[in-house]
Amino acid sequence: MKTKQIQKFVMRYLEAQQCRIVEKSPAHVTVKLSPQADKELTNRTYYWSFVERTGAAPETMTFTFIFDKEKMEPTAVEPPPPRSPQAPLPATGPGAQPAGESILGRYFGVSVPSFAGRIPQEELFFGSRRLEQIFGSVKAGGRCVNMFEETDRELRKERFADSLAFSSWLCVNYKVELECDMKRDEFHSFGIHLLDGRIVEGFYDRLQPLKLTPKLPANVHVRPNVFTLTKAAGMLETFLEKKLKSYDHQWADEAKERQAEEQERIRGYYESMLQPMEDDKKTEVQEEYDNRLEELNWQYEPRIRASVINCGIFHLREDTVRSN
Amino acid sequence: MRTTDQPDTIRPIASHLSLHLNREWLDDLKSRHDRNGPWDDWTMFQLALEAERSRLVSTFDELQCLAHLPGLTPLPHQLDTARKVLNQMRGRAILADEVGLGKTIEAGLILKEYMIRGLVQKALILVPASLVLQWVRELNQKFSIPAVAQKKHYMWEQYDVVVASIDTAKRDPHREIVVNQEYDMLIVDEAHKLKNRKTTNYQFVSLLRKKYCLLLTATPIQNDMKELYNLITMLKPGQLGGQNSFQSNFVFSKRTPKNEDKLQQELSKVMIRNRRSEGHVEFTKRLVKNIPLTLSPEEQALYDGVTDFVRGRYQEAQGVGNLGSLLSLVTLQREVCSSRDAVFVTLVNLFKKTAEDSPVRAKIWELVETIRGIKANTKAEKTLELIEAIGDKTIVFTEYRASQEYLLKFFKEHNIIAVPYRGGMNRGKKDWMMDLFRNRGQVLVATEAGGEGINLQFCHHIINFDLPWNPMRVEQRIGRVHRLGQANDVKIYNLSTEGTIEQHILSLLHEKINMFEMVIGGLDTILERFEKSTQLETSLFKVIMESSGKDEIRSRLDQLGQTFQEMKRQVEQESDARPPIGAILDAVGSTIPLQREGR
Repeated sequence: MKTKQIQKFVMRYLEAQQCRIVEKSPAHVTVKLSPQADKELTNRTYYWSFVERTGAAPETMTFTFIFDKEKMEPTAVEPPPPRSPQAPLPATGPGAQPAGESILGRYFGVSVPSFAGRIPQEELFFGSRRLEQIFGSVKAGGRCVNMFEETDRELRKERFADSLAFSSWLCVNYKVELECDMKRDEFHSFGIHLLDGRIVEGFYDRLQPLKLTPKLPANVHVRPNVFTLTKAAGMLETFLEKKLKSYDHQWADEAKERQAEEQERIRGYYESMLQPMEDDKKTEVQEEYDNRLEELNWQYEPRIRASVINCGIFHLREDTVRSN
Repeated sequence: MRTTDQPDTIRPIASHLSLHLNREWLDDLKSRHDRNGPWDDWTMFQLALEAERSRLVSTFDELQCLAHLPGLTPLPHQLDTARKVLNQMRGRAILADEVGLGKTIEAGLILKEYMIRGLVQKALILVPASLVLQWVRELNQKFSIPAVAQKKHYMWEQYDVVVASIDTAKRDPHREIVVNQEYDMLIVDEAHKLKNRKTTNYQFVSLLRKKYCLLLTATPIQNDMKELYNLITMLKPGQLGGQNSFQSNFVFSKRTPKNEDKLQQELSKVMIRNRRSEGHVEFTKRLVKNIPLTLSPEEQALYDGVTDFVRGRYQEAQGVGNLGSLLSLVTLQREVCSSRDAVFVTLVNLFKKTAEDSPVRAKIWELVETIRGIKANTKAEKTLELIEAIGDKTIVFTEYRASQEYLLKFFKEHNIIAVPYRGGMNRGKKDWMMDLFRNRGQVLVATEAGGEGINLQFCHHIINFDLPWNPMRVEQRIGRVHRLGQANDVKIYNLSTEGTIEQHILSLLHEKINMFEMVIGGLDTILERFEKSTQLETSLFKVIMESSGKDEIRSRLDQLGQTFQEMKRQVEQESDARPPIGAILDAVGSTIPLQREGR
């Protein structure tokens, strides 16, 4: 992600989390987090459990996120406070809160907001811990959706006197990891039509031009599914499996060769060592030998892992997605 | 291998390859579907997908980590090393660069790359205790890797990237826990501590289970080829054959290999050694200025008084053949060169220790009285003058805590922000002082130079308020500042007090040994040989004590200087006729012409 993309991404996140933007420029944003976002980003579990137990009014934290340090007006950039290595993210640990706070605040992370205190500033760049944290937050909060296509109301009235029939698709977004001692990833978005079992690749990207809503639009009904979710999931997995089988798996063969070569080397070493040994001394060496072999499998054994980033059921007009 | 809680569905894909399908998502979807919710937000769904897609790594072998490290510009040889370890050595390597070429950066790049690719989650970094916090800081700040210093025993399991000292890790109750973990990556810094397989260190590290492994050392071999063999065996058992076949195939004698080509070939599969190009062109210059100053009459009186006292005691001790108290006398003589504050404490202590009826007591007290008479501190004033003229960040080195405290107070009175630094501080405090000096202070007053991990390249002025009598310590002082990454010429100011022994020592170190201006290769070797018979410090002391006058001191110091030069020539000649194993080690790596801007 480039600077601009990150900025757009974070702004959308803050908005989706209903945070209050205090100030923004092309280079930064100052934001008062919503309770939800505060819980996700500040690691103040202690504080939040305190708020929940006592019913105290929560005080969320305010941050300045800097997207483009160079364009940031120099007066606005303060030098970062010296960080203690154990709490490298300012504001994640109690110790990182603005100075001049009460003992309670320092030791228990209890609110006691110091309005006079400075607002923690952080640079958000690709690979930064804070951005990783936001990635984690969206991943947890965007796993499963159920969406309907929004259609033009007027059009619907004119052309269809009766309610409009939608059919459902299951969309599954796979992350496929091809892994040995090295690794590369692929992304696959498949959609399966839950009435006729058609499978469409690149499904998620096809959804992009559509207007979608979580609520069933008026004058629309959804046709009952033929395939259960379990069945459909199985069909997608088979589809993925077939696709992967057609790949050239030279990388895996090579990893296997490396593994065999290393095994040979280790075998030579340990067996020449074990041979002249007396039996009672062998156990220890044998154990080390086994460990080393196990490490080799761990390091080289080629495998493909498919996990699901997220999935959703999409109810669409019949002619919205055509098969390829 | 670590197993997840949810067993995957496994399907064969090719002869050696299977597909592991995770199905956790389906239960989640079904339960939401059955209960008609709750469903997640559409924007969050889209963001989640964008985030994951941005993190996908589409090729096996292209370095990804740079895109994640916008603040870091590694040197070309560091990137080459990272690539080689990832793509050719498969994550198991000995990084044997010469000191100062950035082994930590290389290891950080490799670790980061594996973490980005999801191949490493859990990592253990074993380093000497004094380097723990520095590693933690570098990994966090330079690499955004959430590393922690191991402090409590639960941390071994709860944190993914743990930095610890090998001595802690190998002890109970830690040992048990650490041995039972599975580490995706193990990094051992100063790995030459694993050169002997009979040590507990070696045995402990061989017990650890690890996928990838980096051993960092600038000296993969010190005395014996066996050391190298042991290191490599730790990494890849059998790479150089079994112990016996290694002896018969590659060892001619302890330090001389045979079958050099084959050995070199094998080494290059597991070891990378980058070296500085000859001539040290990468370093900026050292500019030395001796600042002559004359003590005030009162100060001179104290100096002479103490020197006479020390000399008297020395002769007495010699007379009865008791040289046991020599050390405290050396200290006294050295202290009086620094400041009255330094000598004061020692004198008072000496006074207390001396028997009440001893005539020495009165002499000591006389000296203490002399101290009271001193109003000004000529050296401190000169130092202040220098600092004001420099107008930039400056480090003032002194050997003594009392001088340090005096200087701090003195600078404060003159509105100069000065920060203390000393060996007794714990790491956290040292780091804090370093940050203060970097961000706020103008002056760092340091008593310790040897502390690992203080990097002061942002500063290029050094004032030697007093001089250590040990050249190694002088070199350490300068080396903190004059190192890779120093963009400016380093200016060294030596306070040279007329008519004191320090003046002679300065002339020995500066003119005879040429200590300040050049980086002496193998200084430690030279000194080791030089000191074989006696400590340099003791020899200096004897010269001072036994000489009858200035001229004799000078000529005897000249002799010392010549002996040193002689040793230096010898060592240089020997390193030209380098033993073959050194040549082989060097051939494994490449020589790097470094620019000044290097880090």
